[in-house]
Amino acid sequence: MLVPILKQEHCLIASIQGELSDAELLTLRDQLVAQVRQHRSRGVVIDVTVLDLMDSFAARTLRSIAQMTRLLGAQTVIAGIQPEVAISMVQLGLTLDHAIIALDLEDGLAILRSRGARENDAGHQP
Amino acid sequence: MDVKAHPRKDRASLLQGYEIDEQEIRRRKQFLQFDETDETRLTSINELAMQYADVVIEDFYKHLMSFDETRSFFSDPQLLERVKNAQKRYFLRLTKGNYDSEYVENRLKIGAAHERISLPIKSYLAMYNFYLRAVAGRVFDAYKHDPGRALDIFLSLTKLTFFDMGLAIDTYVSSRERTIGDQQEAIRELSTPVLPFRPGILLLPIVGLIDSYRASQLTEQLLRAIRDNRAKYVLVDITGVPYVDSRVASHLVQTVEAARLMGAKAIVSGVSPEIALTMVAIGADLGRVETVGDMQSGIERAEQLSGYRMVRIDKDDQADEQGG
Amino acid sequence: MMPATSHEAAMPLSSDVDVLKARQHGKELASSLRFSTSELTIIATAISEIARNTVLYAKDGWMELRLIQKGNRRGLLVIAEDGGPGIADLSLAMQDGYTTSRGLGIGLPGAKRLMDEFEIESEVGKGTTITMKKWER
Repeated sequence: MLVPILKQEHCLIASIQGELSDAELLTLRDQLVAQVRQHRSRGVVIDVTVLDLMDSFAARTLRSIAQMTRLLGAQTVIAGIQPEVAISMVQLGLTLDHAIIALDLEDGLAILRSRGARENDAGHQP
Repeated sequence: MDVKAHPRKDRASLLQGYEIDEQEIRRRKQFLQFDETDETRLTSINELAMQYADVVIEDFYKHLMSFDETRSFFSDPQLLERVKNAQKRYFLRLTKGNYDSEYVENRLKIGAAHERISLPIKSYLAMYNFYLRAVAGRVFDAYKHDPGRALDIFLSLTKLTFFDMGLAIDTYVSSRERTIGDQQEAIRELSTPVLPFRPGILLLPIVGLIDSYRASQLTEQLLRAIRDNRAKYVLVDITGVPYVDSRVASHLVQTVEAARLMGAKAIVSGVSPEIALTMVAIGADLGRVETVGDMQSGIERAEQLSGYRMVRIDKDDQADEQGG
Repeated sequence: MMPATSHEAAMPLSSDVDVLKARQHGKELASSLRFSTSELTIIATAISEIARNTVLYAKDGWMELRLIQKGNRRGLLVIAEDGGPGIADLSLAMQDGYTTSRGLGIGLPGAKRLMDEFEIESEVGKGTTITMKKWER
């Protein structure tokens, strides 16, 4: 299943629409990285609200997306992990330690805005 | 599997409810060493039983009515008459053979009926004993010329009554288990409210012992509340938890991590020195959990993190002090 | 090694799409038992981990999913079997963080944590069989 990627100002929004195979997850990674580069995006929100499962491969792919986009200057936020999925992930041992995590898409965009603002502020300081 | 005759739907479901199938019935009989010989012996005294049934039942109820404890169950004369008839059928059924799934179903129904009127299990067992004694005397009397035969018959009857008692006790036990299960469910639902405290802040005061089942229920409840309330901060207060074992402590850490995966920060307040000791002893990764001493500090911390600032409005004293 | 699954009843594990199918099927089957939605997700996640393990290391494998009963308790049985290269050091493979490929190295030990029972048998050059069970509470 193809994951649509929307561009909103300096951010990219990837909303996952259904279960993804490993190959589809890797395609998502490659497309996101390419588009961050192309649009010089500052942030990425990956909305996983509809995912009813996240295993170690999905978690690893999300982590690599976050790492790769960071190298290109964009922060990645994972949004919308469901209660059952969160419980399973913790028991499996997946804690997404270095990822930025949001309640949902709206919260994700708000986090990116505030982080961007803080960084800009920091930039203005003498 | 050999399913007898016309298995009515409710019979199947009744037996299923007690998890007794044909195989289980066979196993129980094998364990009691109850076989065809016993069946033949029992059916051989059916006529004798019919002859004495009325007297035995009459004696039996006279006995029941002489005790306050059991008399109270049969205060209505109409009811008493009905019960006597049922009891006679029950008594005669003991010597009619075919101790199959229909027989078992019938025994379970009778057991369940007695459980429903809360007849104590001791009275129930005493009833079986009464029958055994009543029948023993008459069988040994009828087989005076062959006491060995009388003993065999009596032992077969003992096996069957113990088979019946097993079923009756099952109905009692399973009903109690159901009641306990329902109550536990009710307690669980009542015991831990997830309270929306301010927009974006939830409060979860936990009171009472936590076993690992309750702990996992709590986690699910909390995570759903985070989603439904779009909460960014959750204060889990464990002041009212007297004791935390290592499993519950690690569950607490897992809950905090699961909340983080949903985009919320959980703060734990009210950790007693004993609980702190447990958490350290099990090596719970406390670096991942923010803890504060009491609930008030927890609330202040959550408010501070979500950008609330509390200002006391007190015109006289404090304004004066500051001014002075 | 004795085959633990009858291949007619089992589903193939040879591609990443098979991993999806296996966990969907497992979740459907488990939902006929008294499992909470979290437990269903936990079961599907464990299936995903071991199914992927088979696909990655052994190419052609099989998975069998079956409802089981022990006394009064019902449960789900998951068997993943392959005739692949096998695992030389089982205790190493069951260690958190150990990986020889694209995983996070938590697949097998993670699946063990998610399920109630977990057994792994492996013989180098012959294959690997993983058996997991999850019981109703």
